[in-house]
Parts: sequence; structure tokens; C-alpha cells
Amino acid sequence: MDVELAKPFVKAAMDVLGTMAFITPRAGRPFVKKNSIAIGDVTGLVGLTGEGNKRGSVSISFQKNCAIAMVKNMLGDDIQDIVQDVKDAVGEITNMISGQARAGLAEKGLVLQGSTPTVIMGDNHSITHIAKSPIMAIPFETDAGGFTIEFCFE
Amino acid sequence: MGMLDGFRDKDFLEQITLLNDIAGRRDLAALPALRELFDRPTGDTSVDYMVVGALNAVLGEHEGEAVRGLASESTAYRTLCIRVAGEYAFESAAGRLTEMAETETDTDRLIEILAALSKIRPEDGAAVFRCFLGHEDSMLAALAMEMSGVYGDQQAVPFLKAAVEATDAALTYDQCDITTWKAIDALAAMGTPETVGFLAANVHHMNPTARRLITDALVRLGEAALPFLEPHYLKGDVDQRILACNIAGFIGSRKGADALVRAFDAGAFTDPNSRYAAFEALGRIGTLKGLVCLVDGLSEDDELILMAVVTGLERHAAPGVLKTILETLAKGDKKSWRIARAIIASRALRLFQDLYKDAAVGDMLMDCLRASQDQEVLDAFAGRLGEIATDRARADAASLPRAKAATRRALAADDSKSMLAMYRSILTDLGFEPLLAANGQEAYALVEAGEFVDVVITDMNMPIMDGMELAGKLRGTLGYEDVPILMVTTESEGSQREMAVKVGVTGFITKPFKPDALKDKVLELVGGAPA
Repeated sequence: MDVELAKPFVKAAMDVLGTMAFITPRAGRPFVKKNSIAIGDVTGLVGLTGEGNKRGSVSISFQKNCAIAMVKNMLGDDIQDIVQDVKDAVGEITNMISGQARAGLAEKGLVLQGSTPTVIMGDNHSITHIAKSPIMAIPFETDAGGFTIEFCFE
Repeated sequence: MGMLDGFRDKDFLEQITLLNDIAGRRDLAALPALRELFDRPTGDTSVDYMVVGALNAVLGEHEGEAVRGLASESTAYRTLCIRVAGEYAFESAAGRLTEMAETETDTDRLIEILAALSKIRPEDGAAVFRCFLGHEDSMLAALAMEMSGVYGDQQAVPFLKAAVEATDAALTYDQCDITTWKAIDALAAMGTPETVGFLAANVHHMNPTARRLITDALVRLGEAALPFLEPHYLKGDVDQRILACNIAGFIGSRKGADALVRAFDAGAFTDPNSRYAAFEALGRIGTLKGLVCLVDGLSEDDELILMAVVTGLERHAAPGVLKTILETLAKGDKKSWRIARAIIASRALRLFQDLYKDAAVGDMLMDCLRASQDQEVLDAFAGRLGEIATDRARADAASLPRAKAATRRALAADDSKSMLAMYRSILTDLGFEPLLAANGQEAYALVEAGEFVDVVITDMNMPIMDGMELAGKLRGTLGYEDVPILMVTTESEGSQREMAVKVGVTGFITKPFKPDALKDKVLELVGGAPA
């Protein structure tokens, strides 16, 4: 089981959102799901590959209000086009989280390559994870709404 | 070590070349210098990562050093050594790692240690993982459970059972604890009569995701699971019987058919829904005894069950069976016509081709075909008639009407192919263009792709995404806030109706239903027949 992969992503999410978006997330109980419908309104998704055919993907799905709060905290009053700004912000945040998590893993000697994040928007969209295994999800609550991190590894 | 002298003063290219070289040669002599660079990084992240990589490679080649590193005072170095010990499965590290697991209190550290032990898999490792089965951190507990399955640790079984039986009111029906997930897999991995029997007894778990995980685990176990499923044909409640039949069908082993037939003979499947499931399972498996049972099933007067029977016969039709079907149809009574309609609706082209040889029966089948409003069905049979290529066949093909153009559209979701064929038939009769899906997720994918329908029919229980979840997603989707949603349930699922209404379901119909009853219900929901 890839718990050792999940923990660094959780830690990175909490760090990045705290420092870049001034959001303090509270982690909830992890659960497993089998469908690929996102639990949020906008999702950042990265594919990961490692040595020995290790493949998987990690996604971060934000509820609308959480995404908007994040953008407001990052851009202040300088919001031109809310839809585009949310897309950009989610992409940036996902990239930072992926980078920081992979750095943490690299320090321990586990090297994973990460793809450029894809951002998917739209109420009730689907996330297509790379592997067909069950998906482990961790829900987070913040004062401005929730987000969920999902892991799917072969 | 000489080669790394003055490293910090070298330029970038020289540095990475050196490190690459060391990583390739895995020279132990480089270790002290590498350690120094690890403890005091250069500050250039690319170089520092390569230092770690080189250190990893050297330690990987020298087990003794890696194990020695477990006692280091530097947390970062210790962590690196823990990971390396796991990656290279250093058995001599197991003792020290086990000691560390016993004294460590930080959860993140524990995860590193146990992850490494899980890769080393020392022979006596079961005991250390056992301590963490009830840990409050669910990821740690889940890892411990997974390992108890690997070790076949009997002492873990009560914890695993408890994890499967635990239901959390806070979690919704589409989520399941990761400990429940890993416990299910571990119990399946152990494969003892006690553990497999337990899983079989819990197929109708309250949580749909857990139900799916248990089903998948039992299907993976295959034949070995059959002896534990079979008692549930006779003594389970209806839902357990249905699920047990489904699993036997998915496993597909011939041994499964005998037990199903015996259960049929013993009167196990009197309820129409379990009867349907049993016929469907026999249809998936095959075997001569199963076919005989299916042929008996041609006497069913329930249209839905008949569809499952015909679908099964279509898959496995053998000459002896075909002869019996022909004789039954040749009688030309109400039963014969029911069967003929089922053959057309379930697109049983092989059966059709054989039965068509008889002129009278062929005419009967053509009459049923001509009544179809489903252009796909008409085309499929026209194609088969073309292949038969006799004058009579060509004339019959030419006599087929074109279906009237559909004026409305409907979406139907059900994990049973026979049910979907039934829905096609009913909906096309009513003038709807049918869109079909095998589960909620497939159905929702059609909606996401921009398809719009006038009515949605959905089964309650489906894999991957069930009817409740589908209804909820639809109500939150632009354009689908008010589309009528008809949910098909078994009698026992009636208790979940309240939840279904809250989620946005408009109407219900209990299965088994007569096709006319479904037609009336659909028309009622869409406001009558088209003008």
C-alpha cells in the first residue's frame, strides 16, 4: 500500500495552502471510493511515474467557495476574470503541492516524475485517474469550504 | 575521499558528473564525503538531489552501512536509511526497524518504518504489524491490516472482521473506510474457510462501496469462494441470494452451475428477483445441467425473467437445446409467443438463425420482429437475414418496416444486460430513443457529454456509481434539475425510498414489473403520450 506516498502530499497540501493562500485546512478521515466523479467543482490533477513501473495520479478537488477564497487570498483585489483566475490558481497550487511532495520524497530517496497539472472545471465533473485501482481520498475542511485529495496508484 | 575533495568549489557540471559517476560505481569509499554533503547541503537543489541519489545508490549496495545508519542521530539520515532498507529489502535491518517501531510515537515516522518493514517482509514480522491494527491513524491501521493478510496472521482476524463490520454514520453511502477496504482484501488474501465464509456472509454490506469491494474480492478468489457462497442460496435473505448468484455468475466456473441447479431444485429461488439472478448466473456459466435448467425457464411467464433465460440460451445454445426450443415454439400458444418476443427483444441472433429454418416458427419470429419500434434491433435481424441469404429470408428482410422516428429520449441505467435490452424494447415501443448505461458513472458520462433526455430510469444498486448517487448528481446538473427520474427497486430496498426522494428521485417502480406497468409509469412521469 502506498501510504508513504500519500503522507507527503497531505503535508505539502497543508503547507502550500497555508503559505500561499493563507488557508488552514483540517484533515478529515480518509476513505476509499470506486467511482471517478469529482467531489468538488474544480480539480487539479497530476500524473506520477517512478522506477519499476510505478504509476499513479493525485488530484485535488476544491469546492467552489474554497477555490474562490483561495484566489481572493492570492490575488487580492486584482481579479480580472474569476473563471480564468480560479483555473490558473488551482493549476499553480496543484503544481506547487506536487513539487513539494515529490521533493520530500526525493530527500528520502524516492524519485517520482510529475506531469504538468491538468485543471478540470465544471459542476460534478469526472476525474480520470491513471490506474484502475480503488481510489483513496482524504477530505479537508477550511473556513471557506472544503477540498479533497485523491490518490490512485497501480 | 579524494574524488570529492573541494567539491563545493567545483562548478555545477563537474559536480553533477562526479555524483553521477559515484552513483554508477556505488563506491563505499565515497560515503563519508557524501554524508557530509547530505548533512550540509550546497543549497543548489539539483545538486542536493543528486547527492541524495548517490547516497541512496551507495547505501543500496552496502547493506551493513545502511543498517548502521538506522542508529544515526541525524533524523534525515535515519529516514533515508529506513527508506533504503525497504527499497532494497535488507533483511538484516528488520531487527532494528522492529525495535524502532516499538518505541517510536510520531505517526509519520512510524509510517516510514512500517512501510520499510512491509517491503522487507521478515519471517517473524506479523507481530509488529499486529500492534497497529487498531491505531487511530487510519492509514497506519490500513497498512497493518494489509500486512496481516500477507502474513496470514490468524490473530488479526477479529480486528479485520471488526473493521468490515464497522459502519460509520458520518460517511455517506458512496464512501468506505480505508480500513474496511484493506480488511476485506486481507481476509480474502488469507483465504481460510473462516475468512472467506465471513466475506460471503457479508456480501450485502450496508455500504455500497464495501459491497462492491467484497464482491470483487470474492470474484478474484474464484472457485475457492464457491463453497462459501452456496449456502446463501438457501438460507440468505433475498438480497444475499441475489448477490451470491451474481458473484457465482461473474466467477464463471462450471462448478458454480451445479450448486445453482441444486438450489433451484430445492426451491431456493421462489422470489422473482433471486430467480432472475439465478437464471442470469446460469446463463453466464453454461454447462449442460445449467442449460437444462434454462430450458425449463422458458416456461416462466415473467417477461423480465424470460429475457434472462433467453440471453443465457443465446450464449450457449447447443443442438439438443435448440431442438427443444423449436418444439416449444412450434406449439404456437401464449407461451410460444412470449418466448418469441423475448428472442427478438434480447437480440438472440443465433437462436433466431437456427429457429428460422422452420417456416412456421420463422413466421412467428418475423411477426414479433415487425412489431418492434427499435431500429437497431430491426437492423440487427435484417443483417442476419441477409446472411441466411435464402429467397425467403431476403423477402422477409425486405418486409421489415422502418421504426417511427423517436420524438423523445430516455436514459436507462442498469448493470444487467437483459434489463437494458428490456428497457430498449419498452422505450422504443413508446417512441423514445433509448440511451443505455451499465452503471451510474456511464450514465453520467452521457449527460456530461451534452446528451439531454426527457426521462431517466435507473436501477438502485449498480457497481461503480449507484442510482442514488446518479440522481443526486443529475439534480445538481444544469438542465437536469426537473427531469423525471424513475427509480427501479426491489421490494426490500423500499426502505431507502425516503432517502431517494430527498436526493431527487421523482417516482418508483418495484421489480419485477410487467412491461405495461413500466410503460404506464413512464408516460405518467412525462405527462402522457406525445400529441
